[in-house]
Formats: sequence, C-alpha cells, structure tokens
Amino acid sequence: MSADPARLGRTGAAFGMAAAITALFNTTLACVKDAYRPLQNLMNTIAANNWTTQGLSDGILFVGLGLILSNTRMVETIKPDRLISFLIAVVAVAGLGLFAWYAVF
Amino acid sequence: MNLTANDAILLAHATLGVLGTLSAVWVFVETLNAQEQNAQRIQTAALAVAVFMVLAWIVGGYWYLHYYPVEKALILKRPWPFAHNLFMETKEHLFLMTLILSLYLPIAARDRPHANATTRRMVLSVAFLIVLTGLTIEGSGAVIDHGVKIALLRPSSTVGAK
Repeated sequence: MSADPARLGRTGAAFGMAAAITALFNTTLACVKDAYRPLQNLMNTIAANNWTTQGLSDGILFVGLGLILSNTRMVETIKPDRLISFLIAVVAVAGLGLFAWYAVF
Repeated sequence: MNLTANDAILLAHATLGVLGTLSAVWVFVETLNAQEQNAQRIQTAALAVAVFMVLAWIVGGYWYLHYYPVEKALILKRPWPFAHNLFMETKEHLFLMTLILSLYLPIAARDRPHANATTRRMVLSVAFLIVLTGLTIEGSGAVIDHGVKIALLRPSSTVGAK
C-alpha cells in the first residue's frame, strides 16, 4: 500500500513498469521473429507454436521484471504521472506499430 | 443443432473476450466513482478481467493451434488474404498486450484507488486501454470471420498469398 496518496505503491509501480516494458518487448519480438525465420522456427519448437512461446515469454518477463523491480527503489524515483503516460504511450505505439508492421511487410 | 467442438471453442473464445472487455468497462465505471464502499467491487471486477482474459487466451490458443490452420489456408488463397496477413497477425499479438494489462489491473486495483488519486488514474488508464484493445481485437475477429465467409462465397476468385 502507498503511504503517500500522490504516489503509486511500490508493487503497483513496479508491475506497471513491467507491463510497459513487456508491451514493447512483445511488439519487438513479433517483428523480429517475422523478419528472421530461424528465430520463428526456434520458437515453434519451444512451445508447439511461435505465438504460444511468445505468450509464455511475455508472461515470464512481466512477472519476473515486476518481482525484480518490486525489490528495488528504482520505480520510486519515477514520477507516477510519468509512468502512467509512459504506459499509455507504449501501448499506443506498440499497438499501432504491430498494425503498421503487418500492413507494410 | 449441429454444434462441433470447433464452433463451441471459437464461440467460447469470443464470449470470454467480450466478458473480459465488459469487466474492464465495469472497473472503469466503478473507479470513476471510487469510494470505500465499492473498493471490494473494483478488486473483484479487476480480477474478473484477468480471469476472463486468461481463459480467452487458453481457449483461443487451443482453437488457433488445432482448428485455425484450415481457415488460414482458405483465407490466403481467396480475395481477402489481408484478413489473415494483417488482421489476424495484428490481433494475435495485440491480444498478448491486452493479456498483460489484464494481469496488471488487479495489482493496480489493490492500491486503494478510492484513497489515492494517482492509483485511480492508473486503474482508469489501464481499464481504458483494455477496453480499447479489446474492442479492436473483437473487430479484427469479425474481419477474419468475414474473410472466411468471402472465401467460401466466392470460391472462383483467387488471390496469391502474401
């Protein structure tokens, strides 16, 4: 719980940052595996399909990063409103980026 | 009624996605009026978003691996290959982002949005993003479905796969 009403709790901020980083990772991995077939083939062998592997990777990254950041003071140095804006911007850019990638390539 | 496992799983996937999106709307509305009295309801609704989206992922993933390849092959040979190349590719990867946001929502909602304006803004933002991406995904599903329909209705028109 957050003691200061102007701030997010440490866990909330840590997993918020983890969600933003995971969203970026998700779009980057989608583009890289689409452009580089050996990576897609490798991902197909890990969990039956590259998409399944990507989903599991996202989940592990989100939980892992969230837990790591929860145990550091790093997220407390970020202004809460900046973190919220960053998350919104990342989801917008990553979502539109996916659409643009598949529209062009 | 001739309802196959393919039909049931696909409909369950879409239904779970809609329920997840509606639960995110519920979180958004409750959080707009966040008070101590509805704090538990916000957490329950946020948990419902996560549960519905995880179930939508599991059910949709099963359908995607076991039944979609036949429809994909059909779409790619016919007039609307972009139903797969653009809409399905975007949808399946955008959904993973929605899933992560859905897993995050109950964590953010635990932080007393009725007592903390910053937490309230975070919960509202995440719930809004889930609704926005959820609706985009549902719309993409409709385009993919129509791509299959067009392929079956216009079998003589063929277009090379991208």
